[in-house]
Amino acid sequence: MKKRVVTLSTAILVCAILLTACGSNSNNAGTANNGAPSTNQAAPSNTASNAGTTPAADANGLYQASDMSKLPDTAKNRTDTIIVGLTDPSGAFTPYFQQSGYDGNVSSLLYTPLLSVDNKGLPIPGLAEKWDVSADNLTYTYHLRKDLKFSDGSPLTADDVAFTWTILHDKSYDGDSQVSTLHVVGGEDYKAGKATSISGIKVIDPQTISVTLEQPNASALTLLGSDVLSKAYYGKEYKQGQLDYMKKLSSSPLGNGPYKLEKFIPGQEVRMIANENYFGGKPKTEHFIYKTSDGDTWQYLETGEVDYASFSATKENIDKLKELGFVNVQAYTPSNYGYLQVNLAHPALKDKLVRQALTYGLDRQSIYVEASQGAYQVANIPSSLISWAYTEEGINPYKYDPEKAKQLLDQAGWKVGADGIREKDGKKLTIHYLGSKKPDTDVFIAVAKEDYEALGIKFEPEVFADFNALVSKVEGGDYDLVSFSTSLLTDPADGLLQFVDGEIAGYDNPKFKELYAKGLATSNIDERKEIYKQIFQLLNDDLPVIFTSYKKSVYAYNGRIQNLSISPFNGLAPSLPNWTLSK
Amino acid sequence: MSTYITKRILYMIIILFAASFLIFCLYALTPGDFITGNIKLTPERKAELREIYGLNKPVIERYWTWMKNAFHGDFGYSLAQQKPVLTLFNQYIWNSFLLAIISTFLTWFIAVVVGVFVAYKQYSWIDTFVMLFLFAAMSIPSFFIGLFLIKILAVDWKWLPPGGMLTTGSNATGLAYVKEVIHHMTLPVIVMTLLGVGSLTRYFRSNMIDVIKQDYIRTARAKGLKERKVLFTHALRNALLPAITLVGFELPALFGGSLIIEKIFNWPGIGQLYMQSFTLRDYPLLMGFTMFIAILTVIGTLLSDILYRVADPRVRL
Repeated sequence: MKKRVVTLSTAILVCAILLTACGSNSNNAGTANNGAPSTNQAAPSNTASNAGTTPAADANGLYQASDMSKLPDTAKNRTDTIIVGLTDPSGAFTPYFQQSGYDGNVSSLLYTPLLSVDNKGLPIPGLAEKWDVSADNLTYTYHLRKDLKFSDGSPLTADDVAFTWTILHDKSYDGDSQVSTLHVVGGEDYKAGKATSISGIKVIDPQTISVTLEQPNASALTLLGSDVLSKAYYGKEYKQGQLDYMKKLSSSPLGNGPYKLEKFIPGQEVRMIANENYFGGKPKTEHFIYKTSDGDTWQYLETGEVDYASFSATKENIDKLKELGFVNVQAYTPSNYGYLQVNLAHPALKDKLVRQALTYGLDRQSIYVEASQGAYQVANIPSSLISWAYTEEGINPYKYDPEKAKQLLDQAGWKVGADGIREKDGKKLTIHYLGSKKPDTDVFIAVAKEDYEALGIKFEPEVFADFNALVSKVEGGDYDLVSFSTSLLTDPADGLLQFVDGEIAGYDNPKFKELYAKGLATSNIDERKEIYKQIFQLLNDDLPVIFTSYKKSVYAYNGRIQNLSISPFNGLAPSLPNWTLSK
Repeated sequence: MSTYITKRILYMIIILFAASFLIFCLYALTPGDFITGNIKLTPERKAELREIYGLNKPVIERYWTWMKNAFHGDFGYSLAQQKPVLTLFNQYIWNSFLLAIISTFLTWFIAVVVGVFVAYKQYSWIDTFVMLFLFAAMSIPSFFIGLFLIKILAVDWKWLPPGGMLTTGSNATGLAYVKEVIHHMTLPVIVMTLLGVGSLTRYFRSNMIDVIKQDYIRTARAKGLKERKVLFTHALRNALLPAITLVGFELPALFGGSLIIEKIFNWPGIGQLYMQSFTLRDYPLLMGFTMFIAILTVIGTLLSDILYRVADPRVRL
């Protein structure tokens, strides 16, 4: 009996640890993806490097299915239904009012935004056919298409847009939309209850709406140009300061996207059916199902239970996918970047020279490219690889150079002591590293420990199975170095926000703040490109964090699906209405 | 008897109070809260949200708020899922229960039959063989055996579905629905039974061996009773007595779900939901679920005490 309890509890313990590891990953991914779905598309620029190892890919990094006769019957028998795996949709399908990115994936099919973005992150028309930005960059005007309808046939007008923006400023709003941080004129008063409407939001006619900000913000255009909630449906019970009723509506969404919700089976499926009122025309495939399963579960793709899945871009995975024969395989890079957050209160790490030494002295190529079989690419700036602002001009690649690192450490005054550990003013140079429990972290620790000890730095790693525990330790300041990744970024300013909003505590460079404000003050892309180049060069030299990597992934989809393309920013939603199943 | 039960129920309430406080503190004091994990939020917004959710209040105050609402039957809304906690339980627990009740039944049934049989044939080659098999089944980790069976039976041979509870997109109703669920639950039930049957068989075997050596069994045999009657009426009944304690423990297990099995077989059960809620620090759901299990555990022990009284006339309560 005792033995049973012991074995049982050990097994549970081991697996709990394993599961928390997966759990925290998905938690991470879940929150990261909020609003922007987790499925992404290849950036042609970086798949070129991939093509070197796997020559069968075409110019876009796509490997065509080689043998469709291997297609399992399960998939063959589905003629009007496409099934995609999704880790954990919880059933809260109202955009802005959901807590998990997986629910965001579902609502991105049920709702269509005013503006979408193209594969470089530049705005393209959605529900709004055009938009104007005033000369002072303070007023944004959206012109809606004619005859827009919600999925129940009711009309969608500028009033609905105004309603959506208004409730996001309500003081009881508990979601993570950033709209209220844009400083819309009158937004603060509304939040404080001093006004009953927001003066900066003006409905000009049923097709036209404008919004005025207190300070220019170039990311406002896409941030405000998001999903629209029906005022007639979601506003029925609304009283200022009271949004609790929204919870009741979360499982019965009324949208305007390509699909509408047919049935949600908790823990199993989200069934959707084509929306005949979709402005772009009724989607070509009648049924679409999100099946609850981890995104990378092989068995469902292999048995044909799902038509689409996404995996880490290791050579092993790509080879295995190609072997299946009946799937097309496409490489892509999500729009985020990985970094090591540095504790800038640490006596050594607040010195720029030491941070540079740590970057030179870390063999990032080995960790992120070689050990991971090409599943990552080394990053040197706080921008996603696929953004229109990405540049390598004037960027120091910090190639692995232990000699240079030693020299910088000497220069910073950290001299090798008697025991081989560097010290300054009687203090030893130790680095306490925190990482989430996953194989990538194990690789990092193995290499970093060796690299840093060779420089005379004492490296003390600590691994967390639980993401929240790790973040709370970082918030408490009890760390020197910690591995993080940003959420998916749309505007280049998104990736810089953490350096201005106090998240990276202790980084205060007036030059950077000035450039950051300048980058948001204009909507002209060429001007912005130039400003972001300067910012990236500045941060690449300053290293308020150590930039590490871009994760690469592949998605595999059933060779029968035609017209599939995945937006790096909006996932499969934009192309889904055109997906068809060939016979 | 009735005074005993009143006393027990009084104790139960005290235990549950203490447990609820302990559990609440445990969750509240685990580093990180519901807001921490959301890397999209600015520090300013995080503070605002903590204010809205009341997470910035002292633990004791939060505990009283929770208790007060719980007494009114309001276990709150899940922060992550935006649904009442009780609704979520209702959606997930029955799936877990279905798996658990069937595999528990099979486990007990097989364990009793095999346990009695090998006890009777102690040290024979069949005893050795069965024990060897059971030890092997017990020692293999569930995730390994689960994934292995998926690979063989679902992916390679395509006999059984690899996971889930329904064929995706299926609109089956009535008998076809039942058939589909049975088809999908076969694999998880096999694995759960394999894992549980080992220790329980060992347990019954050793109990049975003890009992067979008792004087009253020798007496029964000496009276010329049939061996079958000796084994199943005289020996088994006594050998089963200590197992009543186990019955009490099975009660929470029936509703608690299985983290590992549900994860591997993608079964929409409460165990998976609980695990996700823990990584997200979804306090209302965590508290609700853990209290539910605590209540079942307390009831389970009471139940097994009463069962002792029923099964064994020597026990006086």
